[in-house]
Parts: sequence; C-alpha cells; structure tokens
Amino acid sequence: MTDSRPLRSFIPPYILNRIIAHGSEPQRSAAMLTLNHVRSLLPNPGPPVRGPAQALLPTRGKPGLAQRSVYDAQNKMLLPGMVVRLEGQAASGDPAVDEAYDALGASYDFFWKVLGRDSIDNQGFALIGSVHYGQGYENAFWNGAQMVFGDGDGEIFQRFTRSLDVIAHELAHGVTESEAGLIYSNQSGALNESLSDVFGVLTKQYALSHTVEQADWLIGADLLTPKIKGKGLRSMSHPGTAYDDPLLGKDPQPEHMRKFVITTEDNGGVHINSGIPNRAFYLAARALGGFAWEKAGRIWYDTLCDKRLSADATFDAFARLTVDHAGKRFGAREVSAVQQGWAQVGIELSVEVV
Amino acid sequence: MKNLPDLGDDSVVRVSRQGGVAAIHSLSRPREIEFAQCDISQRTRICSVLEGCLPLDSGESGRGDQRFYQIEMRYKSGEMVLKVPEDQAPGDLVHLWDKGQLP
Repeated sequence: MTDSRPLRSFIPPYILNRIIAHGSEPQRSAAMLTLNHVRSLLPNPGPPVRGPAQALLPTRGKPGLAQRSVYDAQNKMLLPGMVVRLEGQAASGDPAVDEAYDALGASYDFFWKVLGRDSIDNQGFALIGSVHYGQGYENAFWNGAQMVFGDGDGEIFQRFTRSLDVIAHELAHGVTESEAGLIYSNQSGALNESLSDVFGVLTKQYALSHTVEQADWLIGADLLTPKIKGKGLRSMSHPGTAYDDPLLGKDPQPEHMRKFVITTEDNGGVHINSGIPNRAFYLAARALGGFAWEKAGRIWYDTLCDKRLSADATFDAFARLTVDHAGKRFGAREVSAVQQGWAQVGIELSVEVV
Repeated sequence: MKNLPDLGDDSVVRVSRQGGVAAIHSLSRPREIEFAQCDISQRTRICSVLEGCLPLDSGESGRGDQRFYQIEMRYKSGEMVLKVPEDQAPGDLVHLWDKGQLP
C-alpha cells in the first residue's frame, strides 16, 4: 500500500490487530480506527474482469475444459499482443507459446481434477497468456485479467515459460483474488505469495506424479541460467537456501518467525516472509506423506476458500483455519501434522482452534 | 491526490524497482539522489518528474507479481513514499532509476 505519512509511523495491520487484542481501551479504539482506514485503502480487487481488448474472445470454457489463448507481445509492453494459439489448435513451434499453452492447461487440470475448481473464478474464466513481453524482461505476472511472461535477460533468467510452477503461481494469484483477496502487503501479502507458491509447486508435483519425498519443493527451478549459483527462486523446504550468488546475493527468505523480516521493501517483504508459511506447508505435507495435494493441498485450499479468512489475515489467523479444516475434512492425525508444521516455524496454536 | 513536499538541501530521493515473481533485492538497484549534490536546474527537473508521478501512485502496485517503482522522499519534516506501477512509469523516472540522472 501507499503511505504518505512518515515511514516510521506506518503500523502494519497485524500489529494493529495485536493492539486491538491486547491494548488498553484507548489504544484499542485508535487501532480499530486505523485498521478500518487501512482496510478502506486496500480493497480486494475481486474476481478478474476482462478488459476491452479481450472482449471478443470466448469468455468461458465448459466445466472441466480449459479455454486457453496465447498471445505474442512481440517484445513490446502492450497487452495482449498478437494471438498465436487458441484452444485446440496445434503447437505453434514457438517454445514460449507452446510452453505457456501447455502449462496453462496443466494448471487448469490441477485445479479442476484435484480441487474441483473450474478455472480462476470457478466459473470457467478463459485463460489468457502473453509471451515475449518486453525486451529481456525478467518477470512473470498476473495483471488482474491475464498472465504475462518475459523472455528473461539470458544472463540471470531464462524465459519464464520454462517453469510450470511459476505459471501456476501466477494463475493462483487470480484464484486468491477471487477468494480471500489477501491484501498484498505485510503478513497477508506473504500469505498471498505463499499460496501461489503452494499451488504452483503442487501443480508441478501433480503433473510429474511426485510424492512429497520425490518433489524438489523449488519455485522456478528452471529459470536461473547456469551462470548463477542457485537452484531456483525459492525453496519451500529450506527457505533461504535457493541461491547464493555474487550478483544476486543470498536468498533472504526466513524459515522461522524468529527471523521474520520487517521491511518497507517488496510491499513489506511479501516475497521474503512467505518462506515461513511455505515451510509450514512443506512440513505438514511431509508429515502426512504421499502426494501433497491429497491432504495438505486440500486443507490449504479449503482455508483459502473459507469466508472467515479475512483479507488482512495474519499468519496466526491463517494457521488456525488450516488446523480447523484439517479436522473437518480429515481427522486427528492431520490436525496434529498441520499444528506441528506451524509450530516448527514458530507459530504456536496453543488456544482452542476456531 | 498528494502534494509534493518542499525538497531542499537536506532532501534525499531514493528510487528502486520492486516486486516481480523473482523479487530479488539486488535487482531493485536503488538509486539515491542527494539534493545537496544537485544544482537548481537538476532539482527542478527531478521535482517535475516527481510531480508527474503523484497521480500515478497506486495502492495496488505490486499485486500479482507486477513490478513497480518505489520513490522514497526524505526531507526535513518527514518522508513520503510513492509506488508507481511499471506499466505506467514515465520514461524519465525509469531513466532516473536506471542511470541516476535525467536525460
């Protein structure tokens, strides 16, 4: 969020929530007023909306069938670009186009076959991807209506369509905006990022039929060039170990609450502190064994779709709901595994779960 | 809309490019411009760029891994932060971030 006041006066919503829970009456009143103001500044963007440029496209697919279209931005930064491949058409011969097409299909399949979700909005939202965005563009993103992929600079990053988990990560941002709408700053923003990593990595594991033991638990393992000393952008199993390179520096992700990073960078460290819930998910999945999407993934998805999950949720609030859903959908063993996962990253759920 | 504060000798403007799925600190390449080191013409031009960024400041900057330019202005009586989405960033702001000076 944007803050025109001095940075030192900025109080993240999770701290306001602590004041509301534990402060004196005047402190609670002031914190509540501030929190309401912050919430009014940060509305949930809600389900995706098609821009006028996409209005001519088929708007929705039939349940269970993806409706994909892939565009070539032709190294410009204008979206969506020239259409290259529509649903059902043969491969184009352009690796970026075909990788995007296949990965969008794999991501749709994961959400449909595993979670019963019909695309981003659960109503068959047509999936649009643009490749060759910009020149040497080092990013992939979801803009609220479509996914966009750069070619990478060739020095640090290869083309972003190489990574199935990154493409699924971007699609999952649309899912999160359609559900809890987690505010993209501080702890709720780190949860937003973590959920994209969770569903991104699960999409890859599902496509490869990997068990929790077989999976690499890396985000963007295919992105870094051989010149970079790193194995990916993030490690969900061991946050903080994905890269250590003279150019990039060291992976800054913490794996435990005692190393939580307070920063004004990166919207309050949304890509940094996501390491904590990422590892909690990994630990829960690892304890449950088998395929991570069958239990841990289902629990996290149930939590994302729970109306009790507020847009400014803290790690603690999210964790409590995961434990609640572990009990509702499964049983005591799953509740224990999820509780232990959070406890091992420093989030102790000592009180009765909701 | 916000108003640009008075930026005098003691002011520092920091511009960094943030966000992205590969949010890596070293790639944000922050630039710090100390007004004490700038002549009046340079200050005027920088302030003109910053004025142009005021209406572009967006609370949604960064969501969904979109990149954005973060402008931090530190001055005598406080600080102000603007977040400008990459796809709306003026060319002069990008140049200021990239080269540390205006074209």
